[in-house]
Amino acid sequence: MLISTLLSEQKAALVVMPLGIILLAIAPALISDSAQITLITVLMYAILTLSWTMFSGPTGYVSLATAALFGVGIYVAALLRGTMPIEVIVLIGGLTGFVFALAIGILTLRLRGVYFILFTFGITALIRNVVQWWETHFGGTVGRHVLGASNEAVYLLVTILFAATLVVTFLVKHSRVGMALQAIGENQDAAAHIGIHVTRIKVLTFAASAVFVGATGAVMATRWRYIDPSIAFNPLLSFLPVVMAIFGGTSKLYGPILGTVVLVVLQDFLITEHPYLYLLLFGLTLVVIVVWLPGGLVVLAQKWFLKARIQWAKLQMQVRRVRRR
Amino acid sequence: MLEVRGVSHSFGGLKAVDRAEFTVGRGEVVGLIGPNGAGKTTVFNLISGAIKVQEGTIRFKDEDITGLRPDQVCLRGLARTFQSTKLFAGMTAFENVRLALMYGNPERSFRHKEVEREVNQLMASMGLLADRNKPVRDLSLASRRRLEITRALATNAEMLLLDESMAGLTPLELTQSMQLIGRLREKGMTILMIEHVMQAIMGVCDRIIVFHFGRSIAEGTPEEIAADPTVRTVYLGE
Repeated sequence: MLISTLLSEQKAALVVMPLGIILLAIAPALISDSAQITLITVLMYAILTLSWTMFSGPTGYVSLATAALFGVGIYVAALLRGTMPIEVIVLIGGLTGFVFALAIGILTLRLRGVYFILFTFGITALIRNVVQWWETHFGGTVGRHVLGASNEAVYLLVTILFAATLVVTFLVKHSRVGMALQAIGENQDAAAHIGIHVTRIKVLTFAASAVFVGATGAVMATRWRYIDPSIAFNPLLSFLPVVMAIFGGTSKLYGPILGTVVLVVLQDFLITEHPYLYLLLFGLTLVVIVVWLPGGLVVLAQKWFLKARIQWAKLQMQVRRVRRR
Repeated sequence: MLEVRGVSHSFGGLKAVDRAEFTVGRGEVVGLIGPNGAGKTTVFNLISGAIKVQEGTIRFKDEDITGLRPDQVCLRGLARTFQSTKLFAGMTAFENVRLALMYGNPERSFRHKEVEREVNQLMASMGLLADRNKPVRDLSLASRRRLEITRALATNAEMLLLDESMAGLTPLELTQSMQLIGRLREKGMTILMIEHVMQAIMGVCDRIIVFHFGRSIAEGTPEEIAADPTVRTVYLGE
């Protein structure tokens, strides 16, 4: 039963993913400029959330290092922009994210539970402060201007990165490595005792997921055009992907994307309509959602889907009865 | 097959294992008994690499495995079960065994059908085919214990460390479990088992090692151990 469900899920994903990516590719021709800018933000958070889910979803290791890896990508773009094509800078941003995540992983992934969470948060703060100190002492100023790129170019790059993140997350989830990550999340000791090299799998998956975070940081630097350590290493960039993933639900691939879309749209609405009450209302909404939907939006979607299937089956039975008469 | 030589391990000031010495021969079923806190499970943790050996050496199939990680020990053919079963609760019984088969045999490249066939064969031989697609949380204690042994066997193990795999079973389940160990012995499996159920220990073991305060105090056949006055004093309380 579970295997057949999994196979049908895989088949559904193989149809829905390409369709979604094609829709995203043609979207700029159909939507307004402001909608395109919102979509860039949605895609940026979707990449961060999916990357976070790739590793933290199955293992249960709550990483708060996203801001560090994103910020590193931003500073790669700030240092290299103008010297080489943006596509190359994005690749270097991704590679830098990989290298930093590898180092963070080697340092932290032997830790478990709350120690891992605190360490990843601490490392983000450390990198931010080191960059701030460096900029103040050797740069002469805290902030940097980054040569901007057009909205179209930024949109195209984040769409490509989103598609890549989605495909890689899907492949990892349904691979041998994905099963091992789930086993590690279920019981790390037992996983090690059936031949899984726990540390290697954790560190490499964590580093692989950071490629997309670093690359996205490099792209977003050209969209924001001015950066400083408080923007690049903003702690919200660590917390929001966690909230979005949990809100959407990590058990299904579409959960984190659903969570991202709803929360970014909600965030945009609150900032526009209630700028002074934004954080208060946003926080309250999150508390209500977490209390009422502990499994995330995925659970709600599954319930609706099940109800719809039952209704559809009832309708088919009625049609058959009418035909027989 | 397994040699434990002068192995010690302390937790702070407490010496849990104190220069332990014993061997297990190929194809033997050996029981490890002793009062609670005697250091039996710590010995299992040291052999399987779950905790580091502070002193002494452990050899398996003439190779020094002292200080190896659990996955390295497992890939050398030594698998274990746990006192409280440590199964992957979010997976089905089939998925638990499949994962062990895939990661326990890294030299093989599996095809989907091949994995399914092998797992089914193994589960059938262990009487678990009816539980194949059940989530672990829906299994009875006896099935869980049996599944943990199946998962260990799937790693291509030549030797099993069974940590109280008969605890909490009903008399019927206990008999079935003893028959299972008998079948594994007939297939040439080497087994070192910790057990408090004396009926099982006396019924299936070729040899018994008695542990007390982290070291072996007696060793012999079940009959010799039952008649040993030291064992009767420290273990049976006579």
